[in-house]
Amino acid sequence: MIMEFEAVIGLEIHVELNCATKLFCDCPNNPGDEPNANTCPTCLWFPGAVPRLSEEALKKAALLCLGFGAELQPVSAFDQKVYYYPDLPKGYQLSQAHLPLSRGGGIEITNEEGVTRRLRIHHIHMEEDVAKLVHEMEGRTPISLVDFNRAGAPLVEIVTEPDFRTPFEAMEFLKALRTQVRYVGSSECSMENGTMRADANISIRPKGTTELNTKVEVKNMNSIKHVGDAIAYEIKRQTESVMAGEAVTLHTRLWDPDKKITSPMRAKFEGPCVPDPVVPVIELSSEWIDEMRSRLPEMPSERAERFVKQYGLTGDEAVYLSSDPATARYFEELTKQAIQPRTAMHWLITQLIPAVRERGQELDNSNVTPERFGALLKMLGRDEINANAAREVVIYMFDGNESPEEIVKSRGFVQVSDEAALESLIDQVLSEEPAAVQDVRSGLEKAKGFLVGQVMKLSKGKANPKVVKELLEKRL
Amino acid sequence: MEFDYFFRNPDLPAIDDGPLKGLNIAIQPNIAVKGWPSDAGSRALSGYTALEDSTVIKRVKDAGAYIGGSTRMSEFGFGLNESHAGEAVKQGVADAELLLDMTGEARVAAAERGVPGYKPSYGLISRLGLTNLIPSMESCGVTSKNIQNIRNILAVIAGQDGLDFSMPDTDRPDFRKREILPAKTTIGLITEAVNMLPEKERGLFQASINSLKDSGFIIREFSLPDFHLFSLVHSIAGSVEASSCAGRYDSVRYGERAPGAKNWNEMYIKSRGAAFGSLLKCFLIQGAYFQFEQYRSFEDACRIRARLLKEMDNIYSHADFLVFPALNPTGTEETEGLSSIYKRFSFTLFANVTGQPVLCLPVASGAGLPGVQLAGPRNSDAGVLTLGEYILNRRDGGK
Repeated sequence: MIMEFEAVIGLEIHVELNCATKLFCDCPNNPGDEPNANTCPTCLWFPGAVPRLSEEALKKAALLCLGFGAELQPVSAFDQKVYYYPDLPKGYQLSQAHLPLSRGGGIEITNEEGVTRRLRIHHIHMEEDVAKLVHEMEGRTPISLVDFNRAGAPLVEIVTEPDFRTPFEAMEFLKALRTQVRYVGSSECSMENGTMRADANISIRPKGTTELNTKVEVKNMNSIKHVGDAIAYEIKRQTESVMAGEAVTLHTRLWDPDKKITSPMRAKFEGPCVPDPVVPVIELSSEWIDEMRSRLPEMPSERAERFVKQYGLTGDEAVYLSSDPATARYFEELTKQAIQPRTAMHWLITQLIPAVRERGQELDNSNVTPERFGALLKMLGRDEINANAAREVVIYMFDGNESPEEIVKSRGFVQVSDEAALESLIDQVLSEEPAAVQDVRSGLEKAKGFLVGQVMKLSKGKANPKVVKELLEKRL
Repeated sequence: MEFDYFFRNPDLPAIDDGPLKGLNIAIQPNIAVKGWPSDAGSRALSGYTALEDSTVIKRVKDAGAYIGGSTRMSEFGFGLNESHAGEAVKQGVADAELLLDMTGEARVAAAERGVPGYKPSYGLISRLGLTNLIPSMESCGVTSKNIQNIRNILAVIAGQDGLDFSMPDTDRPDFRKREILPAKTTIGLITEAVNMLPEKERGLFQASINSLKDSGFIIREFSLPDFHLFSLVHSIAGSVEASSCAGRYDSVRYGERAPGAKNWNEMYIKSRGAAFGSLLKCFLIQGAYFQFEQYRSFEDACRIRARLLKEMDNIYSHADFLVFPALNPTGTEETEGLSSIYKRFSFTLFANVTGQPVLCLPVASGAGLPGVQLAGPRNSDAGVLTLGEYILNRRDGGK
């Protein structure tokens, strides 16, 4: 009998909060600046420095927790995670090991079998980032440098329950997590830019059993896809080694994105965590927590549900629109201008967003504002221009701040619906294309489209295709 | 002993106005003064110069005081080995001295030199700019021959600076003199503490209690069988804090890097080890041992600490002040090692564990008396100082 295995997967996700300052001092939270530009006695941990917890970081972390339905703890505290390495010259990292900021919470995802699963979060805690090590050559001498810009940057760590069974579930969870954190505005959550890092804890067990076996931690994945690939590789590796009769040992492995394998890094660190005697205990009153909760925006799943009800969109369309807060906002701005929801969605997704991306802009601060774009869609709705022209007008709108009406007028995009003008064009086409006329009369539908196309061409794209079609049908 | 500063202020005193006008204050080099060497008595920080004034320094300067210089100190101020603490005040070179009290240094240094020494309540004074070792047990202490000086300095340095978030968010405490009515004031003593004294000293201590009784104070005895645990809790929890705290004194960014390391990670580890003196090393290794190997014992120590705090509070619900001996005469034979420190400070450690304010008076110390500590509940600093003044005035008036 061949034994079947299932994977037990948990994730530890670090999210860097988009705060103006670091977690315990007023230094700018811009790790990418000139090395060591953003440092002070506190984040360098000079003698006599005193850490001061940032209120902004606490609030952004609290919102993030509430977004996942987690329970903010009335009392949480910082501990010292003791280890000695040059990226942490003070010898301990301030983290909440014993009393985390929140417990519980979770995210709903749809797995590969179409089943809705709620993947639980064990707890979320705050911690400071460590310095960045740079290894270079100075001539032939290898030198090692420490950049403290990142030291003390505000992080939260989201620790899940071992609820995941497949790489797909882990990837869906990360996508949903990213969307939610962007919604509450606490972080950009970009794995590519390092503002989100995910480590996976993976173990396997015979299918149908419930025990938790020795796990292996996998690090160094810098995209959501890599997380999936690394987990898939690790499940395969562990299954093969168990089948070969080898025991899985507790350790950490690094994902190699080029070779697409994981390789052992070190024994998993289990150092002491002692309560920090300096940073005061964080006590959150129920009033404070309520106040934070009231600041919580409508979350993506709630919004998608509302979009279905309010605008008659399909579930997929609603989820797509609400996955990015800026897109959802833009869409609603358009519907406020009495534009058909479906038209607004279609033009936003197929025309505007690709054009905005192509120009390296953000929807939020593009010069094609919802007002200008809405005006164009209204002209389309009134049949003043046709779809071809509208697509071109969008491109012109990026060049300046001319209104779509002005662009249509100055560049001659006005749609010709005047029957007399169109009749003369039709006359010309009918006399020039006798073969096609014959085809239509013998029942070849395709030929009709060709004739419409010829009229459109003759009108330089300005003819109203609907009117042309009607007139043609009468004549044939 | 011929007194000389470790570092003498190169600037002459300016004539500044303020509540501390004309006061010449000595400090120790673990209290930051911008531009002054601030090695905290450790090779791990040799050559380190403070970047900014600490809050205490800023405040005493603004109040018109002159910082005469810093005095020689033990490594990070722990214990008092080779320290000159208290000497400047005793010899009249300075009017007062500021020094960190983490096991009882401000009080013991003062008592041994026959001058008053004071440890304020925990959290009363900003830690910004103090090179610390045992954060939850330390407070910036003051010694001076004149308690009015201590009171004035405290009134200037205490209270929120907006930079040390561990301080309570309250208004600046009021240190003005209170009225003391002996007949309405209960002073307690803890039997188990007094019994730790040898017979002769116990007699002398008892005599000073009797003189308090003669002054009309109500004297009450309390039993705290766990008094000896203060020392144990301090030794475990204090060493754990010190072990973490000293991690940042890495001898890499200042101090001396150890030679002969194969790579930079090894260089960090070697430098850290090489810089500390043997007493401190023992303390730090003890702390690391509890962190890495005996975490449960550390947790026990924290629990016992909470219990001791409660028991102390309970005693204070029946007494306004407590009185303790200051010096342990049995602790003077051994001079080396951690155990000698814990013996020498066995009467002072309790206040570091609980954070209560204590004034140490050299009452009749000429007669071999172990000195007297007056303690009150946390944040009763003004009352403790008032009581001390009352007792000293009465003694001096009675001469």
